[in-house]
Amino acid sequence: MTVPALSLKDVRKNFGPAEIIRGVDLDIKLGERHAIIGPNGAGKTTLFNLISGRFPITSGSISLNGTRIDALEPQRINRLGLSRSFQITSIFHRMSVFENIRCALLWSQGYRYSFWSPLWLQSGLNQRAEQLLDELNLLGRRDLQAGLLSYAEQRSLEIGITIAGGATVILLDEPTAGMSHSETEYAVDLIRKVTAGKTLLMVEHDMRVVFDLADTITVVVYGQVIASGKPAEIRANRAVQEAYLGALTE
Amino acid sequence: MEIVLISLLNGFVYGMLLFMLASGLTLIFSMMGVLNFAHAGIYMIGAYVAFEVSRMVGFWPALIIAPLVCAAIGAAIEVWGLRRTHHNGHIAELLFTFGLFFIIERGVQMVWGMLPVPYRVPTALDFPLFNLYGINFPAYRGFMLLIAGGMLLSIWLLLTRTRIGLIIQASLTHPNMVSSLGHNVPRVFTMVFAGGCFLAGLAGVIGGNYQVTEPSMAAALGPIVFVVVVFGGLGSLAGCFIASIIVGMLQTFAVVVDFSLSDLLGGLGDWIGTKNLLGEILAVPVSRIGPLLPYAMMVLMLLFRPRGLMGTRDT
Amino acid sequence: MNAPPTTSAIPAGQRADAQPARRNWIWFVLVIATAILPWLFYDWNTGRHSGFLLTMLSQMGMMIIFSLSYNMLMGQAGLLSFGHAVFFGLGGYSTIHFLNAAEAGSLPLPLELMPLMAGLAGLGFGIVFGYMAAKQRATAFAMITMGIGELIATAAIMFHNFFGGEGGVSANRMIERSLFGVEYASSIEVFYLILAWTLLAALGMLFLTKTPLGVMANATRDNFERAQFMGYDPRRIRFLQFALSGMFAGIGGGLYAITYGIVTFDAVAAPLSANAVLMTYIGGATIFYGPILGATLITLLQSGLSLLSNAWLIYVGVLFISMVTFAPAGLAGMIQAHAPVSRAGRMGRLVVPYIRLSIPGLATLLGFVGLVELSSFLTIGEAQGKTLVLFGSKIDVHETMPWAVAVGLLVLGGAWLRFEVKSFALIWDEVTADLKQRSV
Repeated sequence: MTVPALSLKDVRKNFGPAEIIRGVDLDIKLGERHAIIGPNGAGKTTLFNLISGRFPITSGSISLNGTRIDALEPQRINRLGLSRSFQITSIFHRMSVFENIRCALLWSQGYRYSFWSPLWLQSGLNQRAEQLLDELNLLGRRDLQAGLLSYAEQRSLEIGITIAGGATVILLDEPTAGMSHSETEYAVDLIRKVTAGKTLLMVEHDMRVVFDLADTITVVVYGQVIASGKPAEIRANRAVQEAYLGALTE
Repeated sequence: MEIVLISLLNGFVYGMLLFMLASGLTLIFSMMGVLNFAHAGIYMIGAYVAFEVSRMVGFWPALIIAPLVCAAIGAAIEVWGLRRTHHNGHIAELLFTFGLFFIIERGVQMVWGMLPVPYRVPTALDFPLFNLYGINFPAYRGFMLLIAGGMLLSIWLLLTRTRIGLIIQASLTHPNMVSSLGHNVPRVFTMVFAGGCFLAGLAGVIGGNYQVTEPSMAAALGPIVFVVVVFGGLGSLAGCFIASIIVGMLQTFAVVVDFSLSDLLGGLGDWIGTKNLLGEILAVPVSRIGPLLPYAMMVLMLLFRPRGLMGTRDT
Repeated sequence: MNAPPTTSAIPAGQRADAQPARRNWIWFVLVIATAILPWLFYDWNTGRHSGFLLTMLSQMGMMIIFSLSYNMLMGQAGLLSFGHAVFFGLGGYSTIHFLNAAEAGSLPLPLELMPLMAGLAGLGFGIVFGYMAAKQRATAFAMITMGIGELIATAAIMFHNFFGGEGGVSANRMIERSLFGVEYASSIEVFYLILAWTLLAALGMLFLTKTPLGVMANATRDNFERAQFMGYDPRRIRFLQFALSGMFAGIGGGLYAITYGIVTFDAVAAPLSANAVLMTYIGGATIFYGPILGATLITLLQSGLSLLSNAWLIYVGVLFISMVTFAPAGLAGMIQAHAPVSRAGRMGRLVVPYIRLSIPGLATLLGFVGLVELSSFLTIGEAQGKTLVLFGSKIDVHETMPWAVAVGLLVLGGAWLRFEVKSFALIWDEVTADLKQRSV
């Protein structure tokens, strides 16, 4: 039995007296494409925040490739190989597109807190950044201030920053939110391309994207998992249908 | 023993004065996220205006006029200044009040000069209230306590018994939520800001003749008030009160305490001597180190417990 | 999705370029000009330099280093410190002791390297205080730096060891040890030392902005959490940036000690920390060379305006507040905003609007200055026995005429200015929109 890439065991989270996450058990296999869906307010983004270390869990455990990460700071979790994107685009709006990607590469390329290496001389780093920009189709926007990109381009950059560090487990929080149909198609292709060979966990509302990309789907309602399995199983699942559409009279 | 009792009383008076200043500041800070650097400047304006009004019509009108003037100034600052800088971010607001303080200080210096002005305790209150162990406790200090206590009571009543008070209380701890609930937050802000300045002005009226009224009074008291606010914690007036009293007591008692750290540590001071800095620090009597204590307290508090004594959020 | 546009199609103003090499010649010229400047004011008859000019230029150099180091915190890392003078002053105090040690023979270093020692002292203190401060959030950080500042300033008055109490500590800079065999007896020699170190420090800080730490400091400023999720501990970044900023401030303090030979508690006190905030912000915290402008301007005002008016600090304060409200990007920001316009050759369009702005602007300014000066004279100046001379003519403060003129200028000028500002804004928007269009 191989170690799951990400493992949540009886994870609970309370904000004051409010129980937001009520005992979630979830195992995500290495290389899997896993989508988390559910009605609004179900706690999906909270789960992401717990996994990535933004908030501490109240009880339970979260493990990345077998290592406990639930008590670690976000940067430690990131260095262990987990990276995430944000629902609200989280880029460095005052820096150029190129500089954004370059920053995302710094740690994994070994630069740490160096204040003696002039960046313009780091040809390996700069080439890698350009390469990545090319994959993201943002090379033409290279020197533009990131805050001035179009929304869809910013989302692409967001994905780029997320995967730049070479993380093996990628968390994408509603990557296609607010996108038009063609933008969504493009984003799905991009995601498929850049997360090839990696483990992907994403929160999504757009069902087409979910069924397009995901190998496995987990449905979360009121902080609990009500179903988890292959897309076809989820589609047919009674409890899931009820959660989304209300109880059906038979 | 006499010293302890007298210092206790004096410390309490000073603490109440600090509370008058700090309460306004903490309200403004907790609600609006703005650390109003100009607060001590308003205090100074209150004192100077009271001085002028006292000269012209007397102390008692000054007691009402000066705080009102300060409230008006506060409202003007909020409406024409802070609201404009609000969209530039917290740092811009902070810098704005910082620049304002700067201007107030220089302005006061310019209009009234560098020397202290003879703002004195009114003769009606200039008598000993009672005699404790041979030392007179001036009636004016009792008056100060009365005013401060009355103010404290009014604030408490306002906050707990009126609708606007409830909104203010809620905004203290959850400002964003209050705004989302549809309250006219800008108007509440202006009111709170003006109210805080009213308090600062009132503190200036009664504090200006208790201490010396001079252009440097704001710079002397300002940082201490910040210490109180930080020490007491964000979002808690009770914490602010406790912190004010503690700081007031500390500063008052420190002046009368004559021993030094090295005395406490046995003969350690003798062994290190005073030829080096460490030795000097150890040897200096607490009475001289008094001005340092509040800052040391603030730094320590921020290091170990950023939310202060009773704060609801981290500073 | 369409083929992405090529780089040249990006409007010039939207490119986040590092300063292109061809613009750097301006700085090169400025440095040369500064080096030559004292000789333009040299009195060939008496064989002496203008003491006033040399003092002012030397002060400028120190303040440039000081404010650039402050901007490492404010502009680059987004940290607002109210105790920055601590590093400047402690660097100065340390240098005095180093100089004394050098004279006594226990520290055989040439004078040219003393600022380096000052920098190391600043770095040391930066590490100690940075450890305390860098973990804090924004407001707590401001408070703790203020607290540390007040602590050190009070200690400097109190303690005799190291600080020398109220009288401060002093040393002789002519330690008879130099890399170039210079005695440093005259101010011109000290000036060139300061010029050299200012250049070195500025280039050092510029270099830092282009290193991993430098860009990550910017990143942390823009988005704390994102930096975390890229593998960095933002607090560690702040700590390092803080320590390094202390180092450069220390260098400034070292030059101060060398120039004046004496350091007192003024060098660590709140007014100097406030100065850092003012200079950096007015000059422009978002662009590297902004603080250089701010330091130059404030020093000029300090040296020149303070002689002319008692109220010069009020003008600085009002300038500061105006910047905070209307021009948060500072002077450098305002200049930089014109760069794309200039590159597109459209500056001509702005000439007339600027003239139309400057007339009411000047009137308002005159009115304000008039009022301030009149009030100032009424309270302070008269007592000092001076007579008020504004723009060459004597003015009697007790007549209503001057007051009426001042108020009139202020009010009417102000109203007209508001009108002009609105129409200028329209023209500006038109020009920039036009620029955007042209490039697509």
